[in-house]
Amino acid sequence: MSSAVDKLMRQGDAADRFDQSHADLRETQIAALDERFQERKDRIKLLRHRADEAGVTEIRGLADVVPLLFPHTAYKSYPESFLIDEKWDRLTKWLGTVSPYPISPVDASRISDIDHWIDQLQANGHYVSCSSGTTGKSAMLLASDKDMAWSRKDTVNVFSWGSGVRPAQDRRMIGVGATAAVPKNLIIADAQRAAFADPDKEPFRLPVPPLTVGTLTHMVVLRKKIADGTALPEELADFERTSKERQETMDKAVIAGAEALVRYREDKLYIAGMWNSLYQVAKIVRDMGYSAKDFHPDNCIYVGGGLKRAQLPDDYQEFVHQTFNIPANRDFQNYSMQELNSGMPKCQKGDRYHVPPWIVPFILDEAGDTLLPHESGEIEGRAAFFDLSLDGRWGGIITGDKISLDFDPCACGAKGPSIRNNIVRYADIKGDDKIGCAGTVDAYVRGLS
Amino acid sequence: MTATHTAATPAADSVVSAPFFLYGALQDEPDVTHRSRDLGVTFATPRMAMDRVVLPRTQVPPLLNVPLAEIIDFLVETGERIRDPKNPFVRDCIDRMSATHVLPRSVLESQVVGAAHYLDKRLLETVVEQNFPDPRALDEWVPKQDFTGRKSFVRAFAPRLIHVLPGNSPGVAVKSIAQGAMVKAVNLFKMSSSDPFTTVAILRTMADIDPDHAIVKSMAAVYWRGGDDAVERVLYRPQYFDKIVAWGGGDAINNVVKYLGPGFQLVSFDPKTSISMVGREAFASEEALDDAAELAASDVMVLNQEACVASRFVYVEADEADADRFSERLQARIAEKAAASGDTRPLDLDLREQIDTLMMLDDEFGVWGKTDGKGLVIRSDEPVDFHPINKTANVVRVDALDDAVKYVNVATQTVGFYPFDRMSAYRDRLAAGGAQRIVRLGEAGPSTIGNPHDAMYPLHRFVHWMAHEDGVAQP
Repeated sequence: MSSAVDKLMRQGDAADRFDQSHADLRETQIAALDERFQERKDRIKLLRHRADEAGVTEIRGLADVVPLLFPHTAYKSYPESFLIDEKWDRLTKWLGTVSPYPISPVDASRISDIDHWIDQLQANGHYVSCSSGTTGKSAMLLASDKDMAWSRKDTVNVFSWGSGVRPAQDRRMIGVGATAAVPKNLIIADAQRAAFADPDKEPFRLPVPPLTVGTLTHMVVLRKKIADGTALPEELADFERTSKERQETMDKAVIAGAEALVRYREDKLYIAGMWNSLYQVAKIVRDMGYSAKDFHPDNCIYVGGGLKRAQLPDDYQEFVHQTFNIPANRDFQNYSMQELNSGMPKCQKGDRYHVPPWIVPFILDEAGDTLLPHESGEIEGRAAFFDLSLDGRWGGIITGDKISLDFDPCACGAKGPSIRNNIVRYADIKGDDKIGCAGTVDAYVRGLS
Repeated sequence: MTATHTAATPAADSVVSAPFFLYGALQDEPDVTHRSRDLGVTFATPRMAMDRVVLPRTQVPPLLNVPLAEIIDFLVETGERIRDPKNPFVRDCIDRMSATHVLPRSVLESQVVGAAHYLDKRLLETVVEQNFPDPRALDEWVPKQDFTGRKSFVRAFAPRLIHVLPGNSPGVAVKSIAQGAMVKAVNLFKMSSSDPFTTVAILRTMADIDPDHAIVKSMAAVYWRGGDDAVERVLYRPQYFDKIVAWGGGDAINNVVKYLGPGFQLVSFDPKTSISMVGREAFASEEALDDAAELAASDVMVLNQEACVASRFVYVEADEADADRFSERLQARIAEKAAASGDTRPLDLDLREQIDTLMMLDDEFGVWGKTDGKGLVIRSDEPVDFHPINKTANVVRVDALDDAVKYVNVATQTVGFYPFDRMSAYRDRLAAGGAQRIVRLGEAGPSTIGNPHDAMYPLHRFVHWMAHEDGVAQP
């Protein structure tokens, strides 16, 4: 690996990693971006295409990177029929257009389903994580062994910095979320357990079957069949039944999660989940008659993912914290996304997410194609990032998020770039109400949301 | 479509005023600003006075006893005034609209003026005649007697309508006003954020002809953000309105659906996708190929592909080499038409991404043109899974047009066909699949006056059919 990237990544464990100002980092970051670009431009087909179209041959400033950033939708740009018609050889070829490492062709006739396809790739060092898009396509994000190793280290550093909890293997782990069984989630769970769990205390996981990529994509396939008019009524009835059963299993599991929390209330706990599941469990615990006073005063909480459009009361965070007696200075939140390989933890004092030196933040206009001028202070716009730590795919991504990025020091003292705690998705912003007579069959599909 | 870059004009950050029209009165006190996110423009409307948009049911609709012939004459005069280049309301409207619309000014001008052609005496009369077996029912209580001797009178009674207007075609405003007037309705037009001007401009033109005419007293046009509960929970009630006439789908319709119930019905013009089918005859000669490509291109480019009748998928009965020849010519003609209209809107980021990907899978897909918003064609063996829009066509190669029929679905509106003599062989299967119109390739736009729209005769659906039972005739 090359020098500027190395120099930035070496700070992964440094205590003062969030303390270097944007101005101090800039030169090294630009050199690192150019290094990444030079070594990848002939290896990632999509990047080559982008660079040719924009006429970029070298990175001399942040603006040069903008046309090379991939929209977050790039990882779901494969034709849906590859997935639906199980054309694994074609899907592999598509994956090859975003991969810096050659992927050997697969024999589609020897692949039984998508989970099998993912296993085969993994056996060759290509880790595919899918996002859990329920109604739309799933993004397929490729990562390498190096990325997995980095993720393993970064997740612990991020949690430790953000929550103030030291990795001392002294807690009982209680997981109340049902996350997708994809390599990135699995490695994070494993790393957290290794760092924070007391090896003598059996961790608790929700008693639900693992949510595989096959389960996730089943809905996408069915949706397409409904739209095409080829889904048969019995097939839909069957789907409704399965969904209901799954929900019942989940409801029971959440109760089991609440019971486990009550059972182990005297232990020092590490509680992990998504806001929605944490809130549901907290409610049951309260209904059972337990609250903060019954729990250990040094508990901590690991929250993954956003709200995912769950409807929760305004005070859901306080409610969860108060139920499990989480001290105020243990309020952990992390800004990241499947498309990145590193996290940006939130500080306690300034209530801002901190960007590490190996992630280069960009604020673009809403359309996502122009870099907004930014030398100091805070500006708002569409977030884009280049995660220099990424090895198994291109690090530059344009997100769907609207953020406020500040180059001035944070109230917590850290001098590096930071992001205000008011991130919203552009898709969730109540927009206008333009309607037209032109539209797609998507408007005719009911019951899968 | 989401953000456009043309919005980065000087007008982008100024506030454009959008007055309301309330049954003859103009309300022009800009009070509330709204953001048109698609276009990056802010416009200001008056605060909506709810009591003024509902005409109480204790009053008979103002147009009820105005003869249809007089209404049509008034509409015809309105049409003439709209076409008059000196009409200050229309001129002002186009000025304001070009600041907020996705289409270029020249396209908008010709659309507004073109839309006025709908206000033609013979045309309007034909529309009524096609929609009603006996148009007299609009003007009077028509006497009936059945075979048992029971007598009655039937009236196509004036309804109370809310029209939720689309924003992609100013022509719909003209058409909705005319249709609402001809069924003598009390009409509340809910304008769209991408055109909060045209409807008011037409109504002001009408008030300028005769401010006290019943037609003017029957029309109101206002704006609120579609889905705004504060307005819709109040207004969407059978006590105030009989029917809601809505365009579009997705959120726009989902919001409306929750208010439906006894006495408050939906007449929906659904969101549609149109396609073309080109038979192997197109490859019989160079001339035929040029001809078919030109016809297909003109169907793709109807209203610069913003409209539902505009073709997006072109199924071509050919081998790959022929499909590629067709694609190349189609792209050249789309690009020509795009250039001629001055439309340079770039492709949306997501769409560009998906097409770029197909360019890289070049052993399976062919792409002509670039993702620069100047016109583009993708050739594939199955329809692409995104919605081709903004001067983009997908040529889908099939061995036989029979294989293309399975791609027709409930969202399919118009099927443009080539050669014309094969249309009859396909129309039953296309209708069974869900399609609504089959037309000669190149003629997606025009339709026979008074023909059904969205698989119905809309005016017939609008009215409140009322019966007056009058006992049994004495033998």
